[in-house]
Amino acid sequence: MAATLRNVTTYDLRLAAPLALGFVVFFITPLVILLALSFQADPQGTHYGLTQYVNFLGDRFSLGVLGSTLWLGVKVTLLTLLLGYPVAWLHQRAPSWAKGIIMLLVLLPLLTSVVVRTFAWVVILGRQGIVNAALASLGLIDTPLKLLYTDTGVVMALAQVQMPLMVLPLITALGRIDPNLADASSVLGAGHWRTFRKVTLPLSLPGIIAGCLLTYAAAITAFITQSLIGGGQMLFMPMYIYQQASTLQNWPFAAAISIVFLVAVLVVVSIFNVLGRLSRGYTNA
Amino acid sequence: MLLTRRNLMQTALTLGAMHAFPGLTWAQARPLVFATFTGSWEEAHKAVLVPAFRKATGNADMVLDPMLSVDQIAKVTAAKNNPPIDVMLHDPGPALQAVAQGLVEPYPVEKSAYYKDLIPAAQEPSGPAPFFQVVGLTYNPETVKTPPTSWADLWKPEFKGRVGITNLNSTLGTGFMVELAKMHGGSESNIDPAFKAIEALRPSLAAVAANPGQLATLFQQGQIDISPGNFNAIQILKARGVPVEWVAPKEGAIAFKTTIHIVKNSPNRELAFKLIEAALSPEVQATLMEEPYLIVPTNTKVAMKGEIAKALAKDHAEIAKKFVFQDWAKINEQRAAWIERFNREIRV
Repeated sequence: MAATLRNVTTYDLRLAAPLALGFVVFFITPLVILLALSFQADPQGTHYGLTQYVNFLGDRFSLGVLGSTLWLGVKVTLLTLLLGYPVAWLHQRAPSWAKGIIMLLVLLPLLTSVVVRTFAWVVILGRQGIVNAALASLGLIDTPLKLLYTDTGVVMALAQVQMPLMVLPLITALGRIDPNLADASSVLGAGHWRTFRKVTLPLSLPGIIAGCLLTYAAAITAFITQSLIGGGQMLFMPMYIYQQASTLQNWPFAAAISIVFLVAVLVVVSIFNVLGRLSRGYTNA
Repeated sequence: MLLTRRNLMQTALTLGAMHAFPGLTWAQARPLVFATFTGSWEEAHKAVLVPAFRKATGNADMVLDPMLSVDQIAKVTAAKNNPPIDVMLHDPGPALQAVAQGLVEPYPVEKSAYYKDLIPAAQEPSGPAPFFQVVGLTYNPETVKTPPTSWADLWKPEFKGRVGITNLNSTLGTGFMVELAKMHGGSESNIDPAFKAIEALRPSLAAVAANPGQLATLFQQGQIDISPGNFNAIQILKARGVPVEWVAPKEGAIAFKTTIHIVKNSPNRELAFKLIEAALSPEVQATLMEEPYLIVPTNTKVAMKGEIAKALAKDHAEIAKKFVFQDWAKINEQRAAWIERFNREIRV
């Protein structure tokens, strides 16, 4: 061994071995078991087949749940992008003392648990909550608006809860843009809006895509926020899986739903990835 | 290299010793594990049941491992021959599942000192019921001036947009639906009337909670003023100063047995039996009946006192009269279909 030249690159792989092992034991194995389980035709596992998948894909209600979950993700992602981009932009333009404060404000939500943040939203959106109390004292409404247990409420709460996942990649992306480019653009006669549209926005695309990906994945799987703000009958995929696995002990169907959900999410993620590759080409051009 | 050899030797020796003295292995030597429920159940059991068990067994080792019924079943199913739990606690639905899956040892009734003193509904040979949960009507006394007296009051026009219910994932939600069916001519096997009744209730519904715990939050936030509710959950809210009251409707409060079971193949069978005996004993049940636990006793030797006597029943004869027990074996048969139907039909 000592006689031959050591190949230094092999060390990298061996260093990753503990993580890889953990990955195989705690992620790949359960996933394979989940997949096997989803092919059971009944909870007892007497025979195997595609029954569970046929049940799910042939059922308009179940497909509706899948659709509304994916759509929820889209709405939340768009809202976080809309609200998060100005924050990231502000961070970029702010003097360094303000940068620290903005960063702290962005990170602060991550330091409390999702449950706590979500309960805060229950208090904000409730009938006697902050929103309704403020609107009522301004004389804008007579009867309290229903915000809790509505679609709007879920989107709002999720957007705030997942905001750091959007803002952090955006800050990184905007930070990498050479400030001289904006100056150059205005010297050449472009206004603020045109500079933003033609220079800043395209160059920040990788950050937008990374942020959207993270926010989207987090929003559609956010079991706690979805059920606390959405209530017992806005059924999204995580709750649907929980209901089948936990209350009904119908593990094969729950497994099949999980696999379908996983595949659907993977499709969305690969769309994002393709967009990401395209945008890299764009920014390098 | 030396290190590895030493490790190897140690491992080999340990394995050898474990074979020579099977008492050393973890399965035999571990303390009694009681999977109670989380929250107020755990608090009550830690404070009252565990000390009573220690006293009865001369300080035998035991551990509380609180988890949901579903998790208990999953854990025991995963290791049937060497279960990590010795005593399980279950609501009626999961209890039947555990029994049907052969996870439960029959209770040694003839050895038990207290079994025969339990009210008839609590005498289950697969695992007796040391506790009850009772579901009635919860309301906010600040907004509901005349206390409700019947389940039918939920349909009153003045509660339009103020009623909360839970979906059928919970024992509470399912039990409530069965009661509605019975009120309108249905039964455990004919749920149709309940769905019609819920349909009529729709304009009144302010919220369909995902679990009974959410109902508590909704009361706190003023989101709802009236709902079916668990007696014990309301006591906790009341103690925190939330304006809520609980009444048993005149049709009878829905009672769920919480049953306690010895797990099949448990290495601590004898201790498990002693723990359950302690849970059935009048001393433990009398203490658990007091503030702040207010758990309804099932042992007829315990005289009803305090808040329980006031709000629920003066004695065990009244329990039999005022409480409605449901046939969960029948309910379980169709519960999946009901949940599915509720998912589809009930949209506010």
